[in-house]
Amino acid sequence: MRKPCWGLLLLLAAAPAWAQAWQVDYAHSTLAFTNAYQTVEYTGQFRRFTAAIDYDPADLAQAKFDVTVDIASLDTHMAERDHAALGADFLDAAKFPKARFVTTAFHESANGEVLADGTLTLRGITKPVTLTVKFVPHGTSATLDVTAQLKRLDFGIGAGQWADPSMIGDGVTVHGHLVLRAGH
Amino acid sequence: MPLRSTDAGWGALVRAFHWLIALMILVQAIIGLSMVGMGVTPAKVRVFALHKSIGMTILALVLLRIAWRSSERRPVDPPAMPRWQRRAARAVHLALYGLILAIPCSGWWFNSASGAPLVWFGWLRLPGLGGYDPFWKPRALLLHQSLVALLAALLVLHVGAALWHHFRQRDDVLRRMLRGAPKQHGGA
Repeated sequence: MRKPCWGLLLLLAAAPAWAQAWQVDYAHSTLAFTNAYQTVEYTGQFRRFTAAIDYDPADLAQAKFDVTVDIASLDTHMAERDHAALGADFLDAAKFPKARFVTTAFHESANGEVLADGTLTLRGITKPVTLTVKFVPHGTSATLDVTAQLKRLDFGIGAGQWADPSMIGDGVTVHGHLVLRAGH
Repeated sequence: MPLRSTDAGWGALVRAFHWLIALMILVQAIIGLSMVGMGVTPAKVRVFALHKSIGMTILALVLLRIAWRSSERRPVDPPAMPRWQRRAARAVHLALYGLILAIPCSGWWFNSASGAPLVWFGWLRLPGLGGYDPFWKPRALLLHQSLVALLAALLVLHVGAALWHHFRQRDDVLRRMLRGAPKQHGGA
């Protein structure tokens, strides 16, 4: 009975690694956000980002997200707004070309939602941010929807003369929609 | 002071519409000409928002004014006025009405094509006339500016004619827009 036991152990040891690591299908994934300008909502997205996703809903202790965003890939569907938002008063893409979010711990809330605590470094400022995680497996692929509420002024985006939240809303809702393929 | 117009003079409401809209157009011209050169600052955003809000107010007032005028008589022209002058005056007045309707609409269109929000005095959100469109944006602006230039030219005629009536012809044309019906004709 010894040999089958070893085989089973090997399989168990290998299985989590196989099940957790995902490849992101970037062509079908989006990293979008919503903010308000003069109280009117608009949406934007970052066209280029990389995400390392290790996630098994049955093993949250091993889960990890590491996302790097190319700030200059901002697209708010309006060239003038993109140009202004990337300037020194706002995202300052020349000085801070990347934003990065790394999870620190996953846990389930009282109502069964999965929450991912992490740190977001944006415009050179690092703050704790919590994502709400919705993971839906479909065989060898899966969709991962994450949302987070940020405050732009926490990260010094449009601080100073543009700080008035009635002109540019302080609250920013981030929504990531990732299509995942089983990795190896 | 009668609210309605009579054969002898304009009613209080027509005069209120005329002078209120005239004042707002003057304010719009001053704001509009000074705001375009401003750098991108919150002050510029506020000044643009004010220009848009006043423009939408003018549009609403002009629509109300047309609705009111449609139920009003117009005072009779001075008897000495030749036919061509009556026709020219009517044509200029009609064109002025067309322009003070078209100018706010072209501004509204330009704002929409720019993808900019339109919130009337920070309080009432108005819909866009079509969405953000980089192709039509500069064309809408050119239309807005051209219509304003045309309005300025017609106002030279309009104001010039009013002053000519008052100081050269010494008739009641300007006075009845300022004070309504002259006293000697009675109030009706």
